[in-house]
Amino acid sequence: MMKDVLFIKLNRIRGAILPLLLALSFNTFAQTSITGHVTAAQDGSPLPGVTIHFKGTQAGTVTDIQGNYRLTATPGDILVFTYIGYLEQSIIVGNGKVYNVNLSPDARTLVEVNVVAIGYGTAKRGDVNGAVSSVSAATIESMPVTSTDQALQGRAAGVQVTNNDGSPGGNVSILIRGTGSLASNGNTPLYVVDGYPIDAGGINNINPNDIASIDILKDAASTAIYGIRAANGVILITTKRGKKNGVQVSADAYNEFQSKPKEYKVLNADQFATLANQQATVPGSGFSTFSGWANPASLHNIDWQNAVYGNGQTQNYDVAVRGGSDKLQAAASIAYYSQDGIVLDSYFHRVTVNSNLDAQPTTWLKSSTNVKYTYSQGNNPFGTGSLVQLTELPPTLDGGNKLTYQVKNGDNYGFFNPIYTDVLSYANPVYSIETDRNYPENNFVLANSSLEATILPGLKLKVNGGVNANFAEDIYDQPNDSRANGEYGQSAKINYGYYSQSISQSVDWLIENTLAYDRTFGKHAINFVGGFSGQKTIWDGMAGSGIPPNNTIEDLSQVTTLELQANNPPGSDTGNGQNIVSLSSLFARLSYTYDERYFLTGVIRRDGSSKFDAQNQYGTFPSGAFTWKAKNESFLKDVSWLDDLKLRATYGETGNQGPINPFQYQALFVGNRPASFNPGGIGTLDDNLGYPFDKIYQNGYAAEQPANPGLKWETDTQADAGIDASFLNGDLNITADYYNRKSKNFLLTLEVPAQTGFQYLTENVGSMDNKGLELSVDYHHDVSKDFRFGALVTFSTLNNKLTSITSGTNEISNFGGLTLNGPQWGTFSETFIGQPVGEFYGYKVQGIIQSQAQINQLNAQAQAKGYAYYYSSATGPGDFLFADINHHGAVVAGSTQDETSLGSPIPKFYGGVNLTTSYKSWDFIAYFYGVYGNKILDYEQNSLESFQNQGFVGIQNISEQYYQNAWTPQNHSNIYPAINSNDNTILNNVPSSAWIQNGSYLKLKNFTVGYTLPQDFAKRIAVSKVRVYISSQNLFTITGYKGLDPEVGSQGGNATQNGVDNGIYPSSMYFTVGINATF
Amino acid sequence: MKITRLKITLLALVAALLIPLSCKKSFLNQTNTFGSTQAATFTTSASVIALVNAIYDSYQNSNLLKKGLWYYADYLPHDWYNNGADVAWNNYTYSGTFDALPDFWDNLYIGISRVNVALPIIKAAIAQGVVTQPLGNRLMGEALFLRGTMYYYLTGTFGGVPLELSPTTTGLEPRATQLQCFQQVVADMQAAEGLLVSKTQLATADLGRATTGAAYAYEGSAQMWLAESDPTNATVHYTAALKAFNNPEFGNYSLVTPYVNENEFNNQNNAESVFEIQFDLTGGNQSWGDSWEPPGGELGWIDSFSWPSEITGEGYDYGSPALYYSYQAGDTRKLATIIGPGDPNMSPGIIAQWGGIKGYPNVQGGYANYMAQTTPPYDTVDYYRYTDASQPINTFKSNAINTNGTLAHPWYGTDGTPRSGFVCEKKWRDPTLTGGSGPGALFGSQDQILMRYAEVLLSKAECEIRLGMTQQGLADLAKVRSRAFNGSVPGTFQDGYLPQADANGNPIPAPVITDPLQMVFSEYRHELTGEYSLMYLLRRAGNDVTTGVAYDREMIHIWNTGPTSQYAYGLRPNTFIIYPYGPTHNLPAAIFSDATGNQGVTYNDLPPGKDLLPLPAAEIALNPNLKQNPGY
Repeated sequence: MMKDVLFIKLNRIRGAILPLLLALSFNTFAQTSITGHVTAAQDGSPLPGVTIHFKGTQAGTVTDIQGNYRLTATPGDILVFTYIGYLEQSIIVGNGKVYNVNLSPDARTLVEVNVVAIGYGTAKRGDVNGAVSSVSAATIESMPVTSTDQALQGRAAGVQVTNNDGSPGGNVSILIRGTGSLASNGNTPLYVVDGYPIDAGGINNINPNDIASIDILKDAASTAIYGIRAANGVILITTKRGKKNGVQVSADAYNEFQSKPKEYKVLNADQFATLANQQATVPGSGFSTFSGWANPASLHNIDWQNAVYGNGQTQNYDVAVRGGSDKLQAAASIAYYSQDGIVLDSYFHRVTVNSNLDAQPTTWLKSSTNVKYTYSQGNNPFGTGSLVQLTELPPTLDGGNKLTYQVKNGDNYGFFNPIYTDVLSYANPVYSIETDRNYPENNFVLANSSLEATILPGLKLKVNGGVNANFAEDIYDQPNDSRANGEYGQSAKINYGYYSQSISQSVDWLIENTLAYDRTFGKHAINFVGGFSGQKTIWDGMAGSGIPPNNTIEDLSQVTTLELQANNPPGSDTGNGQNIVSLSSLFARLSYTYDERYFLTGVIRRDGSSKFDAQNQYGTFPSGAFTWKAKNESFLKDVSWLDDLKLRATYGETGNQGPINPFQYQALFVGNRPASFNPGGIGTLDDNLGYPFDKIYQNGYAAEQPANPGLKWETDTQADAGIDASFLNGDLNITADYYNRKSKNFLLTLEVPAQTGFQYLTENVGSMDNKGLELSVDYHHDVSKDFRFGALVTFSTLNNKLTSITSGTNEISNFGGLTLNGPQWGTFSETFIGQPVGEFYGYKVQGIIQSQAQINQLNAQAQAKGYAYYYSSATGPGDFLFADINHHGAVVAGSTQDETSLGSPIPKFYGGVNLTTSYKSWDFIAYFYGVYGNKILDYEQNSLESFQNQGFVGIQNISEQYYQNAWTPQNHSNIYPAINSNDNTILNNVPSSAWIQNGSYLKLKNFTVGYTLPQDFAKRIAVSKVRVYISSQNLFTITGYKGLDPEVGSQGGNATQNGVDNGIYPSSMYFTVGINATF
Repeated sequence: MKITRLKITLLALVAALLIPLSCKKSFLNQTNTFGSTQAATFTTSASVIALVNAIYDSYQNSNLLKKGLWYYADYLPHDWYNNGADVAWNNYTYSGTFDALPDFWDNLYIGISRVNVALPIIKAAIAQGVVTQPLGNRLMGEALFLRGTMYYYLTGTFGGVPLELSPTTTGLEPRATQLQCFQQVVADMQAAEGLLVSKTQLATADLGRATTGAAYAYEGSAQMWLAESDPTNATVHYTAALKAFNNPEFGNYSLVTPYVNENEFNNQNNAESVFEIQFDLTGGNQSWGDSWEPPGGELGWIDSFSWPSEITGEGYDYGSPALYYSYQAGDTRKLATIIGPGDPNMSPGIIAQWGGIKGYPNVQGGYANYMAQTTPPYDTVDYYRYTDASQPINTFKSNAINTNGTLAHPWYGTDGTPRSGFVCEKKWRDPTLTGGSGPGALFGSQDQILMRYAEVLLSKAECEIRLGMTQQGLADLAKVRSRAFNGSVPGTFQDGYLPQADANGNPIPAPVITDPLQMVFSEYRHELTGEYSLMYLLRRAGNDVTTGVAYDREMIHIWNTGPTSQYAYGLRPNTFIIYPYGPTHNLPAAIFSDATGNQGVTYNDLPPGKDLLPLPAAEIALNPNLKQNPGY
């Protein structure tokens, strides 16, 4: 119904306005009115916006949204049809009234004319003077993705996109040309959406379907225009806008089913309790079994993975109306995305509204307005990584529980008898997920508007201003849990209720004035843009928590032990208070072209940032680029096999201020603490700081952070050499780049000499190199009118190396929030000078010790060299044989002497292959993505092969494979060690090569079959184009990795905790049915 | 044309309006609203005073005072030994990774950093009128004084250390020489002398703050260190030291009598005290809990952890019988310093509160348990641990124990080891403490005296003797000895008895001392052991110009470095072991610990170079410009 109304309206517009315009334009003698329909040769679809002009004049018209045109012509007139990406076609008007035209695509023109966003302006693809990759709307739309980041994976060389896990909403990390910073979140590129630089987290609020194009600025020459925020590359996102002359309505929908993930095979209750009972009898095990497990066969089995994993479902609906007249173009879209994940109660829901408005009231004035609003809500109860507990939990619940021994029975949930200390640390995760209430919500608004005036020919002044606001709320409500106390009496622990609420808002505003000049003088062309920019972010937040009086009160004023969260770390967007950061910039870019052969560009940006002290507030970032378009030289002009050849060389300097919080340069003080203040730590400031005089306590104040006026941004310098070549009449396009990126002055908080008076200071330390080769090969060929084939291959190598740390040490251990439990697991990666960042680090396993004689001999050798034992006094047959790396005669437990590099999580190369084929109305997409040469630290495997609860008291479940293959006096495995309930004492399950696996993989990320309804049929149902498709994601993965999914990213955006699988949210197969319709 | 002019005008106007928004300098100068900056914080005199209070607070730290200063001052001379995990002190095997070192180094540099940060803030506060000039002067003086003491202890312990004097530093400063460091101490003290107030002018509410006298005392000592570090100008430095010690300010100090009262809990901040670290009870709970955890709270574990584990369940140190027997007959300092087997606790405060050892909850409870037994066999461990040695075991009716254990009747530690016991009586004065039983009050509020008048007198005596003013020196020495002997100073000077018995079990008198300098050194030990000075004073004494032997080494092991005839019996097993039990167990072998790790009294020499502690290895790793002391 709605559709019909719209259709009638469109026809009315066409019927009323177009003839009027035409009548005004061409009131000529002896003319006749002609009409026609312009279609695309490849699929017969109508082409709106095709320019039709009379040869030799500028007069003419354009096709409407249906591809129709109407004009008045005289027989003998030559009409020229031009359209970007298609071969020009001419017809001679005869005596007929209808002239239909079928335009053929022109691959070469497509490459030549494509417009690329380069920051504060655009450039023709052929004139781009740096390393810029682009991803089109068609590519983004070809695969259902939640976030824009995901759409980039494998589509742009040098851009490494990793789905850190498969959680709803997407936890994606992007590295452009490697790791340039050791700081957490120090490697995030800058996102600029419709000219507005936004915080990296904001990108998830952009509906991928609204995106017209993504341009990725990679080399410093291209990114320098964004100065202090550009070191990690810049991603420019342009959303779809309304086109002139007509209105297009599109509707897209898909429904996606996600299969339950693979499960690890772990022991059932019978096997587990039998093993526990048997281990309890091993002398020295230090473990006494639970009386409730005396009869293993009688126990109720619990499959925790089954209880938590399920099928997932995603729905996406998207409606957009885009179009306009000569003076006013508008686009509006609304979309709803809802994903229910495969982990219990994990979900992501999002509503996006996008509206763009372009107006040109006079020939010299143009305005452009973008408004985006997004509401999102998401939850991931296990967070990143903690799903490892599903395989650790004993596969049975306390058999003596009076309420239930099942995971859930009616309103009751089974749990473990907390009196039995060996299971004290275990909870029933289903209970907490289903009874806790968690409502994180976010409202995002991005609105900006620009006004551009052409003052003189070629000279334009533009004012761009806008606001980006985020309003976030998080409520977490955990009810009081007194079951344990009720059932087991006072000795059981009561878990009191907990309520926390936080609200925060971040309002960022931007104002930019630019002046642009673009003129050609004979063979000389210059293009200049210069301007200034001011951007300010104001964050305000309130957050508190406490014990609510009952399970329904959600009111902080009624909680007991109210705790207000601190702004921790100082200046971060957490807790209570306000912080403001601002950026003030001047920038300019001057390009000079001679004879379409030589292109020279210079960029300079001067950024002033409030994050630094006055003496270091301003940074200047210059760059230069030179391109030689060799194809336009006379000696190549006529070489027919070479359609294009361009050589590029660029160099530039950029900055990175992302990892630092405001005011870290200031001397800050703490004090005013009561005498009893003592949080129990032994840090410098875990003290009341006061002192008694005459035995009466007096307040004290001390510096918590010294003045650090020298603190500055991280600096990147990058050289790039590239080549663009085109062959086979433009069917084959190759782009290759070699880059050398040198990053220095990482902003890192490191342990410093105590003589500073402080334990840790944030400093500029160290340097790192990234070098790599990027190759992009794009081949497409129309075999016939009905059969087309295309292939895009991207390939990137990466060579990362830490070159210095100026703190006096030669390595940096892993730091950040990732905690792996167990002896010596505090350090699992080390970054050494001369080595790649975040290399795994531990002992090298040489097999399993097979006999007492073997360990006796090793101990004797060690004792001859003055050591007490070869490894540990507890080491015996069935334990790992660790290598004596330094050949000193023993492996010193708990020391780094015999630890060694166990491989790097950084792939040697990565890339994607995107195959597209169409035959008549059918289209096929197969998209592969792969990485090669990286290692994964499989902590999940370590957990599956540790019978002792890693790092805690008690025992945990193990894999069936380990159970069946573990070393025993009868089964002399050389891979699986003996099962022990005191692995922590034996020090067997320490970081070692046993848990390192090859992380290479090749995934069929997407396979899609689409069918476009025939034109005739489409017309009959009053639509321009309808495409239905079925698609599958992650259909198969070729890998040697034993875990659930080899796609493992860096946790918390921290390069020192990269490639660790500690039970990450698995990604399973998706099956999608979707429809794209255009009206 | 008209339109063009209009649009240029309009746009230029708009642009002109917008430019200042982003180009204003103040646009980048944001105010920190979540952290306390200097400008926001130090706007009142109270906050500036608080800044200095926090410098004092860096000393109020059990780990720094006990594991740092006290261990160095008292373990190195082997008057006292460690009964915990830090046995490296007992045989001089400490290395750069020894975990007591960071407690020492880090905490003092935290204090130094607080001074360096405070100085310009106080100056600014004076200039801005936030504090009055007299108050500002005093605060400057306190800060400089405290920095001087911190470099004094660091340099005394490690030799030359990096001199950090600026509020901002990368921490990569290399070590200065010992001479340069003590020059800095002198400079800080001299500056402080002109800024601090006399103790007579200090308001009662400020009791515990540094005074002029304290600055002169440390200056004098630092000048003596300069003499040791710069022997060619020794006379100049000793003269300067003597000048400091002769300052009229010392007329405001006097020796507390009797000697036992000097360290009493009820006599803190007394007339003899020159500088003492303050503690107080308002900081929290005296039992196990957060309040004790270093460095927080206002309490310390320093004192009770010196007690025998029979009382506390803890027990970190024990005394050397060599020290016990070195006191000359009639020296009242002996039992006020160290109590041995069969000795009761001599503290008037402890006796008033508990009636002595017998009143402690642990003893009372154990004794009551023992008494509750009605039929033999009675628990012999309880019998030994809690009942009076004078009563044989099966007479049943006896008194609760009120003395240290003896050879015939040892205590049993919590580990079941029989102990005879030599205990630091100087640290057993706080009657509010009960040890680990009863209310479990282990963490005390007794001040720790770093400098007292007796030390000033003894240092002054050394100066005078070094400058040839022997009579004056001996006169000052006599002031100290007169109190020690309650006015009845013996005619000869002797270090009591040797720690060994002769073949008949009778004590052997030590040789008579006639050298005035050796008298001073002997007095350093007997007056100041168990406090925070001894090893510093011994190392400051340097090498004997005639023998080339280090005084400190002689003093530490006078038993081993004496004449060969005396030296020999030190190595004769079984003849000199008087109390072969528990902490004082001395093994019949050349090695001084048995297979189970029990530590005995070790008479090994202080190896050359070990009088300086190694720099913490972690610091050398972080600052490659730091060079380790030789021999580590």
